[in-house]
Amino acid sequence: MTEVPFPPLSKESPEAEGVVSTWFVSDGEPVQADQLLAEVQVDKVAAEVPAPRAGTVHLLVEEEATVTQGAPIARID
Amino acid sequence: MTITEQPVVPAPRGSHRLTTAKAMVEAIEQEMERDPTVFYLGEDVGPYGGIFSSTAGLQEKFGTDRVIDTPISETAFIGLAIGAAVEGMRPIAELMFADFMGVCLDQIYNHMAKIHYESGGNVKVPMVLTTAVGGGYSDAAQHSQCLWGTFAHLPGMKVVVPSNPYDAKGLMTSAIRDDNPVVYMFHKGVMGLPWMAKNPRATADVPDGDYTVPIGEAQVVRPGSDVTLVTLSLSVHHALDAAESLMGQGIDVEVIDLRSLVPLDREAILGSVAKTGRLVVVDEDYRSFGLTGEVAATVTDVDPGMLRAPVARVANPDTPIPYSRPLEHTVLPRQDRIEAAVHRVARA
Repeated sequence: MTEVPFPPLSKESPEAEGVVSTWFVSDGEPVQADQLLAEVQVDKVAAEVPAPRAGTVHLLVEEEATVTQGAPIARID
Repeated sequence: MTITEQPVVPAPRGSHRLTTAKAMVEAIEQEMERDPTVFYLGEDVGPYGGIFSSTAGLQEKFGTDRVIDTPISETAFIGLAIGAAVEGMRPIAELMFADFMGVCLDQIYNHMAKIHYESGGNVKVPMVLTTAVGGGYSDAAQHSQCLWGTFAHLPGMKVVVPSNPYDAKGLMTSAIRDDNPVVYMFHKGVMGLPWMAKNPRATADVPDGDYTVPIGEAQVVRPGSDVTLVTLSLSVHHALDAAESLMGQGIDVEVIDLRSLVPLDREAILGSVAKTGRLVVVDEDYRSFGLTGEVAATVTDVDPGMLRAPVARVANPDTPIPYSRPLEHTVLPRQDRIEAAVHRVARA
């Protein structure tokens, strides 16, 4: 099992919160390593979240949900 | 100008979910890999990736020779693209906002659009001019216009306006491969940008490989029998929302996404109106001297008798776009105005 964290986008404030803007995969879907999972943003800085490994993805937060940097947003089994 | 024959390439097996912005980038990326003469230039298209994410990741992949950040010098870099195109390359030049056309219009309509004509067809200008359009997010009078009617009015340019990820990728591939200058106008509201209002219709499955969407071909995005609704770009999304609501009120609306303004798919408009006898045209551009009148005339030029009710036009009421959100939403053709127009035409 591998957790996928919300990427660190703000260096100044490690506790910064961001939003999961778009999920590009569905819960329970098989994914390839490096496949695009989500796009996230802190303020107006956006970042892509690729799959760290292949497996079955489980989404831990809803689209538009507010998440603290570093917190897990998905799990890959 | 010639209309290049573009056969429909069937979508290969395998697809993946993308936003409209990422689909546009994927088309550029695949064409740059396929054809070394394709390059991209414009303001903030390098490390920044385009202010509306039209070039995200491209410079990292292709380097600064093929993805070129320019100074704020639209006349110079659009002229550069025209020169490169005349010499056989396939440049894509980005005008950051269509609103800025005024500072470089001579290059666009006196050079890019006319060299083919002036040379008796001997010199081609196979370039793409990309530009961001549209309002709805309080960017005020100088950063919210669509202006596609102006580009379409000036002869010599093809004009395409995708509303979704599939068309964004397929129309970009067609635009790059076309031997004519093509103006590719992307509405910020359909791009699926994380910092804009959430738009579920801006994310969809897109085929993995390259494919084309033919320039000059409209699409019936929702079949219906009572009223024909002709529109384009972000207004397609509002129109589909309105059509769903109207279905519950007993009115079955056929929604046509024009996708291209030049050439205009007049057959698609006529075919639908021949069936319904009722026409609503929705356009985020200015009302007078524009797209809504052109679409209405497409029908009346052929046979006004097809219409069982006067045509309803829903457009910007000839005012600059206000900054104030409530005022802006009043002038833009949103769902409430579209529904009211359909009711008017259906009752008549």
